[in-house]
Parts: sequence; C-alpha cells; structure tokens
Amino acid sequence: MLLKPKKPVSSSKLVVWITLIGFIVLVLLPTFYLISYVFLEWDEVRFEVFENPIIGDENWKQMLKVLFFSFRLSFSTVIFDLIFGIPLAYILARKNFPGKSLLEDIVTLPLVMPTSGFGFATLITWTTVAGLGGVLGLNSGLIPLDAFIPLVNVPFIVFIVHVTLTFPYIVRTLATKFRSIDITYEVASRTLGANPLTTFRKILFPLSIPGIFSGSVLAFARSLGETGATIIVAGVSSTASIAIVRWTSEFKLATASFMGSLLVIIAWIIILPVELYLGQGKRSLNVPFVVPISLTNRILKFENYVSKKLSRLKDLVPLFIVAVTVIVPILAILNSVILYWSADPYTGKIEGGVWNQLFGPSQYFNILLRATLTSIIVALVSTFIALCISIPLVFIIERKWYGPPIRSILKIPLIIPTSSLGLSVLLLWVSQGFNLIGSGIWLIILTHIVFAVPVIVESMIAAYEGSDISMYEDSARTLGATAYNAIETVSLPLIKGGIITGFILAFTRSLGETGATFIVMGRDITVPALVVNMVEALAIPAALFTSTYLIILSMFLLVIIRITTRGP
Amino acid sequence: MPLIKLVNITKRFGKITALNDINLSVENGEYICILGPTGAGKTTLLRIIAGLLELDEGEVYIEGQLVNDVPPEDRNTVYMFQQFALFPHMDVWQNVSYTPSIKDWDNDKINYVTSEILEMVRLAERRDAYPKELSGGMQQRVALARGIASGARILLLDEPFGALDARLRVNLRSQLRALVKSQKLTTIHVTHDQEEALMTADRVVVLRNGRIEQIGDPNQIYSKPRSIFIANFVGGANFIEGNVKKVDDEGSLIEFRDDFQLRVSTPSTNVGEKVVVTVRHEDTLIRTHPVIGSNNFSCHIESRIFIGDSMVYVLKLENGITKSSKGLLSDNYVIHNIGKQRIFSFQPGKCLIFSYPQTGLLQEIEAV
Repeated sequence: MLLKPKKPVSSSKLVVWITLIGFIVLVLLPTFYLISYVFLEWDEVRFEVFENPIIGDENWKQMLKVLFFSFRLSFSTVIFDLIFGIPLAYILARKNFPGKSLLEDIVTLPLVMPTSGFGFATLITWTTVAGLGGVLGLNSGLIPLDAFIPLVNVPFIVFIVHVTLTFPYIVRTLATKFRSIDITYEVASRTLGANPLTTFRKILFPLSIPGIFSGSVLAFARSLGETGATIIVAGVSSTASIAIVRWTSEFKLATASFMGSLLVIIAWIIILPVELYLGQGKRSLNVPFVVPISLTNRILKFENYVSKKLSRLKDLVPLFIVAVTVIVPILAILNSVILYWSADPYTGKIEGGVWNQLFGPSQYFNILLRATLTSIIVALVSTFIALCISIPLVFIIERKWYGPPIRSILKIPLIIPTSSLGLSVLLLWVSQGFNLIGSGIWLIILTHIVFAVPVIVESMIAAYEGSDISMYEDSARTLGATAYNAIETVSLPLIKGGIITGFILAFTRSLGETGATFIVMGRDITVPALVVNMVEALAIPAALFTSTYLIILSMFLLVIIRITTRGP
Repeated sequence: MPLIKLVNITKRFGKITALNDINLSVENGEYICILGPTGAGKTTLLRIIAGLLELDEGEVYIEGQLVNDVPPEDRNTVYMFQQFALFPHMDVWQNVSYTPSIKDWDNDKINYVTSEILEMVRLAERRDAYPKELSGGMQQRVALARGIASGARILLLDEPFGALDARLRVNLRSQLRALVKSQKLTTIHVTHDQEEALMTADRVVVLRNGRIEQIGDPNQIYSKPRSIFIANFVGGANFIEGNVKKVDDEGSLIEFRDDFQLRVSTPSTNVGEKVVVTVRHEDTLIRTHPVIGSNNFSCHIESRIFIGDSMVYVLKLENGITKSSKGLLSDNYVIHNIGKQRIFSFQPGKCLIFSYPQTGLLQEIEAV
C-alpha cells in the first residue's frame, strides 16, 4: 500500500470561490443596491419626497400613510394566522385521520399558487355574483369591494388574500416544530392531570416559541412584500408594495427606491430582534413575571370548561377557514370560466365570453401562449442557475465556519418585498448600476434567481440536517471514497428529495411571481403579469381563464412534489 | 514494526482537552479494546486514527509511515459507526460493493469479492434488501462485510454493539472476534462495557479523561488494576480507607476505622501513609468461623441480591462500615439469611493497595 499525503485541493477551493462570488453578485448585491441607491440619488429623493415645489411634502405624507396601512395589514394578518394556524398545525402534527395528506396539500397550495391568479379568484368569490353571493342566492357579491374590517381598518378582501397566502407559512413551520417535540411530554402532562388546553399552554406552547416566531417572521415578510394578488384586489387602497410598483411605472425611481428602502429597513427593525432571539438557540420562553394564584385558578377553570365543550370547534374552525380561503376560490373561478365560456351570461354578448376574448379580435390566446413560453423559460433557467449556486452553497453553509452567517443573510431575499426586489434588480443591472442588460426576459431571470436560491437552499438544508450526512460521508471516506466521490455517491443521493422539493418550490414560485416581474419584465410578459394586465384592461373573462390555467398548472406541480418526496 | 503507532497525541476542543499525550502501539492482527467511561475520549481517538479528525499535537503512523496529512480514504482504515451508517439509498449488495465500485475494479472481480464476503457473513440471500429492512444484527454484518470488502486491513469499531439489544450483544461478541481474526484484520474496538472489552480483546487500553490509565491483557486489567478507578470500573470491588501501621516481610498492616486492622501481602512504601485497600467482591467469603491466615471480621447480613448464578450480600461490620461479598451459587452453596451474625473473610493476597487519591475516594469511583 502506498499512502499519499494530502494533495492541495485547488479544485475544491475554486468551487467554493465561484459559488461565493455567484452568491454575492446574483443574490446579495441586488438586495443591498436599493439602499445604496437612495444615498446616491439623495438630491432627487429630497426633491420628490420632501421639498417638491408644487406639492411640498405631500409624497412623504402619502408614504407614511401607505406604510402605516401595510404594517397594520401585516400585523393583523399574522395574528389571525396564529389564532387559527396553531390548532390546525396541532391537528396535522398530532392527529391521524383519513385525508390528512390531502389536507396538508390543500394547506400548502397557496405557497405554489400564482398570486395574481389566486387574487383574482378570491376577488370573484367574495365580491361578485359569480362567487359566494350567487351561491347564496343574492343578486350581488357576498360583501362589497369596499367593506372594511373594523378596528384595524383594512379592506376585508385584501385581508382575506393576505391570510390565505401567509397561512401556509405559519401552519407548516408550526406543524414541523410540533412534530419535533417529543409527544411524551404531553402524555406526561395529561397523566399528571392537566386537560389538553392546559397541557398546550404549559408544555407545547413554551417549547414551540421559536417555531411560532420563525413562522410569524415568514408570514409577516410575505404579507409585507405581497404584490401580485394585492394589486388585483386592492381597489383604491394601496399597500407599500403596490405604491412601489406605481412609482416605478411612473419612472419616479428615486421615490420608489426610497420607499422600498424604508420598507426593508422597518421590516428588519421588527424582524431582527426575533431573529437574534432565535439565533441564541433558546429552546423555550419562561414567563418572567409571577401570575397570581387566583388568576391561575380562573385560567385553569376556564381551560377545563373549554377543553370539554369546545374541542370540536377548535378542530372545525381552522378547517372551515382553509376550505373557504383556498378551495372555494378555486371552485368559484372554475365555475366562472364555465359560465363565461361562450358569452357573458348576464348580457349575452359573445364579446364578454372567454372563447371570444381568447380567439377573437384581441387574440389573447396568442399572447397567453407567448407568456407561457416566457414564464417556463424564466422558471427553468432561473431555477437551474439557482440550483447550480445552491448545491455547493449548502455544503459551504454546513461545513465552513462562515456558513451560519451566510444562512442568516439568505433570509434577506426572503423577506424583501418583491416589488422592492424588482426595483433593486432594475436599478442594479439596467439604468443606474452596471447598465449591462435591458428589461426583459434576462432581467426577469436575474430577479427570480434572487429568491430561488434561498428557497432551494432552505429545503436542501432541511434534508441535509434531517439525515446524518456527515456520518455517511465519513463512513464513505474511510471506505476509500475521496471527498468528491463521497458527495457524489452518498450525500447528493441522500438529499435528492430536498433538491427536488427545492427545485419545484422555486420553479412554482417563479411561475407565479408577479410583483418583481411586473417591474423588470419590459415587453417580455409572463403569465401572472398577464393576469394583472388583463384585469387592468377589464378583459375579465380572459383573466378568468388565465388564472384558472395558472392554478391548474401549479396544482399539477404540487402533485409532482408529493410523488417525488414520498420515495424511500 | 507496529502496524499503528500513536505518538504523543493531544486533541483539544476549545478549552477541553479531549486527549492528552496518548502513546500506543498496535501490532499487526491484534484485537485492541479501548475501554473507558462516556467522555473519556475513546471516539475522538478512533476518529483521529481514521483521519476523520485533525489532531492538535502528536503523530499517527500507519505501517511506519506518518499519516497526519493523509486523508481518510488513503489510510487503509475502515471506520464502523455505532449506527453502522449503511447507506440508506443502496441495497445490501451496493453497500458491500461500495469500495470496489468507486475504485473501478472490473465487474467480475467486484461480483466475485462481494458475493464471497456476503456468503461469509451469511447474507447472500438478503443481497437485494435495503438497510431499513434488516434487523440490527444483520445491519452490523453488512457493515462489517462492507468494511472487509473495502480491502482495509485496519478495522475501527465505535461501540459496535451499542445499537443492538442486550441479548444479541453477548452472542455477537465472539462471532465478531472470530470473523475479524479469520480475516487477519487489525482491530481497534471502542466500548464503555468492561465485560465486552474483557471478552473480546487481546489487549485492553483503559482511557480516562483523555489519558491512558493502563494497557494490558484482560487478565492483567482485571486482576492487577493499576488504579482505584480501574479496579472499580472493571469488575467492581470493596474499598477500605485506612493508614499503614506497619510494614514487614509478610506485607503491610493497615489500620482502618475504630482501630480495626487488616493484612495485605504487598508491602507498602511508607508507614503512616493514607491508603485505600481494594478486594474484589468474589474474592471474599462469608463463614460461620474465622478462616486461618485470612483477614476475618465479624459482621451481620444486611441484605442480599439474587443475580441468578450468584448472590451478592451486603454486610455491616462491627465498626459500622458496609461491604459486599459475592458468591457463586454452586450445588453446595450455603445461603445466609438476613440479620445473621457471620464472619467476613478475605486473604491478604487478594488485596491490592493504592495510595489515597488526592481528589478523594468518591471522586475516583463515582466518576464512572
């Protein structure tokens, strides 16, 4: 036997460097450029926002109003999500019943759903006679478009859309957290005499605080950045994300980027303490103050009462919410497409039918085909490039000392509002920064890479940490495999499921992304952006068809996720 | 020339010194057990030999060659994990033929070697099974077969029976030893189970707090433990604290609580020194009359524990200290009832004498 001393591993160093450079240029730079742009163009910002010769600081007042509205909306969304998401996550984590995996799929659906199409479906469901209103025999929508929720003062329909789109983040994160907590703690608590609700409050809840926080952060960020569905249902009210889109389309880039920076910074000020707290690796939260005995007794009595009387209700209400927010809109939009297929069912005009709009004079079908092609190319190319960066990046994150900071930096693209992201990419690559490429398909791809990388990395890391990769790799090494061999024959096959899931999540997200795409797309329109255009052009039947088409496409992809992740 | 030679190995994790100046030589074909309590540094040492962990100081030689900078795949060692680490996405055949196939042997050779080895571990029929479909014992055999097929001459076993249930463990010990001996492999086997180490090893290395406490064959380790810690950790014993009263030709006279005295046949160095005398439970007797030439103490039986083939008695001496005695339950064995007055007796030649540990006796025997 001949023992070779270790060769200088120049090739692996090269891979690390290329990966890190790709990561910094393609993912990090666009997210940070926005803020630096505000400083570069400060004079223009001041002129537009604070000291406009005609309207003074009217834009600034407008911004504050919009920001305040956005945060109010996101906070109330997260609180609502938590109240109903916790019981649902508990059911998914702890109960076994027929149809459980179907329920899980339905809960996940909004994650892969194209937001603009889904927003449109929700709009149809609640505010038109083709939706719930018609089913209930009313001659109008169930609720008027301008109905507001009292107290928080946000439009009902916007709230519903945000709840639907953020609900999966809370439920999935919490269900995973609950599953990771050994059930014996709960069993012990029950045998020690606590009712289910008290057990939850004293045992499961404190142990799952980190999960509750990280789920809330994701949901909050998602709501804050949501553009595609909101732009369709918002009507006259405007969130911060939509305001950025509007300003960008009016070419007030400095104003838009100032707004985007404000949004990112405020979001970080809210999220950072939570992230820091989670980063300390605390496993539970102790209540730092003493609750008086009399109050404790009253709480216990209440919990005893509620546990007995209302246990059914706690199971049924979340299910009802999922049904109403996810399933009903899909059915409603399908129903509408059928109703509108040949002609407008109310006026009888064939110009108001789906068929006529697609194949008639406006030729929407051709545009749709083109948009589908653009969407698929964008999704494929961006996901593929993201995959090339993500796979080595996961190994860097897991093995190098600088891995954990990279992982936390990767959260930034996830929480940056999509419209700010689009603006940032536009500024960096096109007008003010590198000036390398124009708006269009390549810019869309660059934008989608930014959020595809964290999505793929997160699901790969989940798979990596779920199986004991380092043990298998060490084992392969002592069996004679080189480091490269071990990765190829052992690690990659073992995290294959995570790679495929990440790929499909990123692919569907790219397919459905609206907010950022809308800003950077130029003339290369994608399908979700087409829905927005159709709604704005009041080509409602065509929008109905396109939304349905998108939703069916993403449901199909979800089925593929199911099949691929089921494997051995 | 020893096959493996470790010279002054030191490894630190932050402020903790996991291994402190380890020196060890392993001969070709030898079966070594590294025995120690949890946290002694056993696994760290094994990982350093395999090249899975870099060391801070010292040298590792394999076949006379310094391998500090040789990566694990080129060290001619195979590391077997406690959980066996069978690749879950490969079946038995693919697992066993892992090394031959990544080394690009030709197909005939791969097939021949793999089927030979599977035959040897009696798993030829399960060649298409996936690891999770196999029992723990079978998984262990697959892991062994995979290691043997890799062609490595040095087998590093990290708690190889840790993931198996107790009954199976005992049965598999001798099988494992026979198998690796028949293949003429050199084995380093890490365990915290003293019985396992004594049963399987040619030589036992006792590791404690990152240091080697004793190296010797199983018999030496058991009958001539070099420290109180080993006496307690391997086999267990009675401990009596006392002072050396007199040293003469017949050994030493030790005085312990309430001026009680006992004889130890080994001469101790200093009169007046504080010492600990140990005597194994099974080296003591319970009699109705004193035994001539032995240490005899009157006692009464406090309690007894039935262990199947033997009985352990807890006795209280007249000066109030409690001791244990173990007797094999042979045909003519007399069972003593609780509360009876008896004589606790042991020969001076069965006693070992240690100077009193600086950190106290409890520290030495409770750190296990």
